[in-house]
Amino acid sequence: MMKNKVDIAIIGGGIIGLYTAFELAKRGVENIAVYEKRYIGSGSTFRCGTGIRQQFGDEANIKMMKRAVEKWTNLGDEMDFPNFKMAKTGYLFLLYDEKEVKTFKRNVSLQNSLGVPSKVITPEEAREIVPTLDISEVIAATFNPTDGKANPFLAVYGLARKLRKMGIEINEYTEVKDIIVKDSQVEGVKTSKGEVKADIVLNAANAWAKIFNEKLGLNIPIEPYKHQGIVSEPFKLGEIKPMVVSFKYGGAYFTQKANGGLIGGIALKYGPTWDLTPTYEFLREVSKNFTRIIPALKHISIIRQWGGYYAETPDHNAVIGKIKEIEGYYLAAGFSGHGFMLAPSVAEGMADLITKGHTNLPFDFYDPYRFERGELREQAVQMG
Amino acid sequence: MRLEEHPVIDFTKRRGKKVTIYFEGKPIEAYEGEPIAEALHAAGIRVLNYSTEKQRPRGLFCAIGKCSSCLMVVNGIPNTRTCITLVEDGMRVERQRGSQPLPRDYKAPQWKEAEKHYGDIVIIGGGPAGLMAGIKAAEKGAKVLLIDEQPILGGQLVKQTHKFFGKREQFAGVRGIKIAEILADEAKKNGVEIHLETSAIGIFDNNGEKLVVAVEKNKKLHEFHGKAVVVATGAMEKMIPFENNDLPGVYGAGAIQTLMNTYGIEPGKRVLIVGAGNVGVILAYQLKQAGVNVVAIVEAMPRIGAYFVHAAKVRRLGIPIYTRHTILRAEGDGKVERAVVAQIDENWQPIPGTEKVYDVDVIALAVGLRPSIELLHQAGAQITYARELSGYVVRHDERMETTVRGLFVAGDSSGIEEATTAMLEGKIAGLSAALLVGKAPLQVYDEIKKAQKDLEEFRSGPFGKHILEGLKKVMIND
Repeated sequence: MMKNKVDIAIIGGGIIGLYTAFELAKRGVENIAVYEKRYIGSGSTFRCGTGIRQQFGDEANIKMMKRAVEKWTNLGDEMDFPNFKMAKTGYLFLLYDEKEVKTFKRNVSLQNSLGVPSKVITPEEAREIVPTLDISEVIAATFNPTDGKANPFLAVYGLARKLRKMGIEINEYTEVKDIIVKDSQVEGVKTSKGEVKADIVLNAANAWAKIFNEKLGLNIPIEPYKHQGIVSEPFKLGEIKPMVVSFKYGGAYFTQKANGGLIGGIALKYGPTWDLTPTYEFLREVSKNFTRIIPALKHISIIRQWGGYYAETPDHNAVIGKIKEIEGYYLAAGFSGHGFMLAPSVAEGMADLITKGHTNLPFDFYDPYRFERGELREQAVQMG
Repeated sequence: MRLEEHPVIDFTKRRGKKVTIYFEGKPIEAYEGEPIAEALHAAGIRVLNYSTEKQRPRGLFCAIGKCSSCLMVVNGIPNTRTCITLVEDGMRVERQRGSQPLPRDYKAPQWKEAEKHYGDIVIIGGGPAGLMAGIKAAEKGAKVLLIDEQPILGGQLVKQTHKFFGKREQFAGVRGIKIAEILADEAKKNGVEIHLETSAIGIFDNNGEKLVVAVEKNKKLHEFHGKAVVVATGAMEKMIPFENNDLPGVYGAGAIQTLMNTYGIEPGKRVLIVGAGNVGVILAYQLKQAGVNVVAIVEAMPRIGAYFVHAAKVRRLGIPIYTRHTILRAEGDGKVERAVVAQIDENWQPIPGTEKVYDVDVIALAVGLRPSIELLHQAGAQITYARELSGYVVRHDERMETTVRGLFVAGDSSGIEEATTAMLEGKIAGLSAALLVGKAPLQVYDEIKKAQKDLEEFRSGPFGKHILEGLKKVMIND
């Protein structure tokens, strides 16, 4: 039987919801429940590109990601699931003109000043990392060896297993229909399986977050955009170790998964839309652009293609924080394609915010009220 | 070994020009028009690759491009489906050992826009269902584009050397291979545009019309534009679990038919057949026809599933059929050398002491098929499970239209039956599609109704009972 009263109700069984539940549980909050309208991970986490990087262009995202990587590194042990490991295979940005080089040099020195060991390298050095690269047009590259990737399926299943062992309730196929608010105070959630009383509700529904916000009269700009991904047939593991990124060729990003198949996408988006039908245009553009970066990929077949949402905000940075108008209502959504990689530090900061009222992480940067005030952040470097 | 004498087919006439391919550097004689894996089999090479995890030897299994058991490195390109890739003179073929490195190829490809083809109806699959759909739609004046990833038209008919029975208008008394020729000629005569060795990779919506994207010979991109699509992609062979079921020489029944009846290659010397349904029993007969020894047929069910006439013929040939028996394991060093079978009890458990060991070099699995629904699923059609139709199938209405407007299905891809029902369903799908795209007059309903009635009649016997049960789960009622 599903509990009818909890301390904290979390909407969304993706990586953000589950990881936050884990951080809260570690802080001794026991009466937590997660509500997922389909199965855990099914919204955006299982559709993601798997990348984890600290090569951002602003201090807040770099700090958040640096902390996230520390936490990703230990997650396997923490959740007693050693099969889960972050693969520190790096991110390799290929640069084709002076303007790009200038921006990335600036980013690298900012990253270095915050303790991220990224560096600017030559095209030849880039080819040493990925031997099949076509570097004929590349003039420089940046590489950070402590960036990498992780398997979202293992992360989600590992967390869920651990949470269930800790007595945390995870309700799949349980859709939250409404957040119940009385006198500007959260009272609980109305789900497809009945009402649950709760003093605190965390909206971790990412693309769907705005549905709840709108019902509560909150105007926080998060819109669903369709992005897509592909996976190829496997080839020898280690051929494409890092996440390779090329803004020149379609904003392409790709890396090899643990089974040797390629996973990746390009910067082609549709929306705002709830439609997730894969498109031929995407398939064609992926083929065209990937093979300009690594010509040998022309011999490799794509075996799957899918769509997923980027829950985008106007500056491509998430909205994370406490909602002032409604006591007990917290928001962590609008990740604009960075939710998976950011999850550990978002979860840590959110758990601190809920239990202690503050966090040392730079949550101000993701302030939900910045749009209202007209303070857009510099657009986060976004891929796909 | 190649078959030089066959009572039904003269392979010496069928074979193309002699060519030489190089297997791991060694020259192998082959004939133009035959796929790589088949040519290698004729030269006695059964191990085509080694598995990634445990480096287990693997060989052919389905021989129709569906199972990926035959992947090899061809001219330096890994993951080539050698069972449907035709030999070319001078071709270099190597065994694939696990996952292959990317070829060291730094030549940026020149992107060519897809070759575009426009028609009213696009048909995917040139077997009995697809061909019949094409013929019927084209007869009504629709422009039909038909694609198939095999090098020859006819689907599985091209390997059926036996005569069909039933009604005269349903090709009773005609051999499957002949039906394939008749349908192919008819399709061409009616102006169906045919593209072979062309694999459909996706069905997309294109501003309300249909777009089928396909790749020819793994190289060239094609777009097929139309207002309706008929998916007639057939089925793939099922596998059952037993020890060493991946040993080269454990072949799907269809693969054995492809080897001997399409390309005139001896599948082996001594064969054990698992499964006494129509496929297994007909296979036994065809093997005898090709001069191959069949040691036995084992069937886990208490009864023989095949039509009585087929089973009786096999019994007359002296091939024992053991019901309530199953295969326990395959044995051999790198290839099948023995098969161990045993009787099973009412709980499907092997009965100790009943083991029999056969010295065989081929184990034929005739344990059923499952519908090939991948493209239908990708196109967004609703899928449901129907055990009676052998697995996941697409929901459709009486006119064979799926839950996606303009997307039709016919033949085994809509549930496993047989060639006769595939042709009838093809007829219904083709006519309904022609009606939808505005190429057939409303009177075509009479023809559709006639085909529906024929289907009903065909399914009215004891064998059709479970099909009708399955269809109850699948049919969309208007």
